[in-house]
Amino acid sequence: MRARDLIIWAALVAALALYPRVVTVDNYRLLRLTQLLVLVSLASSWNLIGGMTGYVDFGHAVFFGIGAYAMGIAVTPLSAGRLEWAPELPYAAGLALAGLAAALFALAIGLPLLRLKGPYFSIAMLGTFMAVRELVRIAKPWTGGGEGLDVSASLDRRGDYYAMLGLVAFVVGLAAWVRSSQLGLALEAIREDEVGAETRGIATTRIKLATFALAAGCTGLVGGFWSVQNNYVDPDVAFIEHRTAEMVMMAMLGGLGTVWGPVLGAVALDLLKDYAWSRFLDDHLAVLGVSMILVVLLLPRGIMGALSSPRLVRWAHRAIGRPSVEPEA
Amino acid sequence: MELLSQTLVTGILVGAFYAVMVLGFSVIWGVMGVINVAHGELVMVGAYLAIELDVRYGVDPFVALVVVMPVMFVAGWVLQRVLINRVVERPHLVSLLVTFGLSILLASACKSAYGGDPRRISVDYTAPLYVAGIAIPQVRLMILGVALAIMGALSLLLARTRLGKSIRAAAQNKNAARIVGIPIDRVYAVTFGLCAAITAASGAMCATILPVHPFMGGPLTLKAFTITALGGLGRIPGALLGGILLGMVEVGVATYVPGIGTNLGIATSFVLLVFVLIVRPQGLLRGLRPIGESDV
Repeated sequence: MRARDLIIWAALVAALALYPRVVTVDNYRLLRLTQLLVLVSLASSWNLIGGMTGYVDFGHAVFFGIGAYAMGIAVTPLSAGRLEWAPELPYAAGLALAGLAAALFALAIGLPLLRLKGPYFSIAMLGTFMAVRELVRIAKPWTGGGEGLDVSASLDRRGDYYAMLGLVAFVVGLAAWVRSSQLGLALEAIREDEVGAETRGIATTRIKLATFALAAGCTGLVGGFWSVQNNYVDPDVAFIEHRTAEMVMMAMLGGLGTVWGPVLGAVALDLLKDYAWSRFLDDHLAVLGVSMILVVLLLPRGIMGALSSPRLVRWAHRAIGRPSVEPEA
Repeated sequence: MELLSQTLVTGILVGAFYAVMVLGFSVIWGVMGVINVAHGELVMVGAYLAIELDVRYGVDPFVALVVVMPVMFVAGWVLQRVLINRVVERPHLVSLLVTFGLSILLASACKSAYGGDPRRISVDYTAPLYVAGIAIPQVRLMILGVALAIMGALSLLLARTRLGKSIRAAAQNKNAARIVGIPIDRVYAVTFGLCAAITAASGAMCATILPVHPFMGGPLTLKAFTITALGGLGRIPGALLGGILLGMVEVGVATYVPGIGTNLGIATSFVLLVFVLIVRPQGLLRGLRPIGESDV
């Protein structure tokens, strides 16, 4: 399973890396692809904590915002006059800082919050998200307040694309590795029965914290990348309300706790957004809300769950003429 | 001294709105076990209904309650029958996600209908009364009055009527209630309708004191959660005490911590929430349902 997943993923990444070299691609298409990669990596990192560990995080976009701001503060020159103090770091160092800041914040906040169970954790994270946005708005000397920051260290579209491809390769590869490792089994045990896992000698607190920090760090990296690509951060765009909803939606739609679910879910949401944007320009959020409700009610195990349903597997086996094997569980 | 008593009084007045705002959230959670993430959006819908009535027909927001509450009762009933009933008694995750989807839907519907700009209803009785040097805005006093009336009526309904008995039975033990022949589904629908009506009433009133905009719901849901954690589930005195406590803390922070003003409302209630959940997970006044493993 592990080897196959990694081979599929390596092939896919290689194909995506060659794509703009073999075919002439215009900047618009590259931008759209880059945005899709952003969605894939967000869905995949949310899935680490929300899907695999079962701690449904309703405020995960806070790490995106922190990453975006860490990057913005790191690379914005002092001469722009927005900040009282600026380290003026290079792009790569800024990106590393973005991931690190988000991961450290996750460690700090996770220590109390990961002790909360189920809905309490979800709502507490929603609170974290809103509280941090408020703080960012108030802390004007360090964040530029409501006016935001110009993030000037932009690469070109092609550079953006490759940077994001590298990031997404890392995040999904990480998810595939976690799923197949001892850590993944521990997370599954925590999700299914935390007390049981604890009595069996799994260091639940440490494992939850580590996973939370990993997921947050990945999201922070994406946030840092995004702020450069967007050229600008302010509290409203970096901490936009529906970003968490999109992460949850993509992971749900694809299939919680699977490696490929979030990838498929991100592609599906992107197609849905395209469709929604073109038909209901104003109401694309309403489309998001409605489809979220429908997915939970009609497709609770997501696309991956539907694909592995016994009936479909039997039908596929018949269609390719293989003797029907009863699928496991 | 005067500053302190002013802070306390303002805290109580702010808390009265919170108390009536949180009732529906607390009762729905207590009776159905559903954490309604779309609660703040129900407040918002009530506020927009009142604005609509004010703009079109010049109806005073407090008079508008007579229209808003029945309309939202029916809407809540339908919502429960069509959507919420499918997720009651399922794992918490399912109802959380469905109501999360609902909250996005309601917020974006209001955004496309009314735009993103904050609106409010201006009434001509905002001027404060002065009692012993303490300013009491009339409109806040009226909210306090209506809040107490609604809480009193709900207590009577729950304590004295057959319907109230059924609701309490459903909250205590669903299966036993079913066995003795209580039509649980109907009780749920009525409960949700009632809660939607009360919540929308709080929204209609808050349109006079708070800016109404499509994204006001999230912070209100968070505050509702905080108050419920403070005061306990489905308990009316708990809602009142929790609401007033949150109001006082918010006003106190705004008054005594320099350079912050009212900007830190969410952060304050967030810190309070995390503190309570960790120090006293059963709720400050007891009665918050511990989440068991099978419950999650």
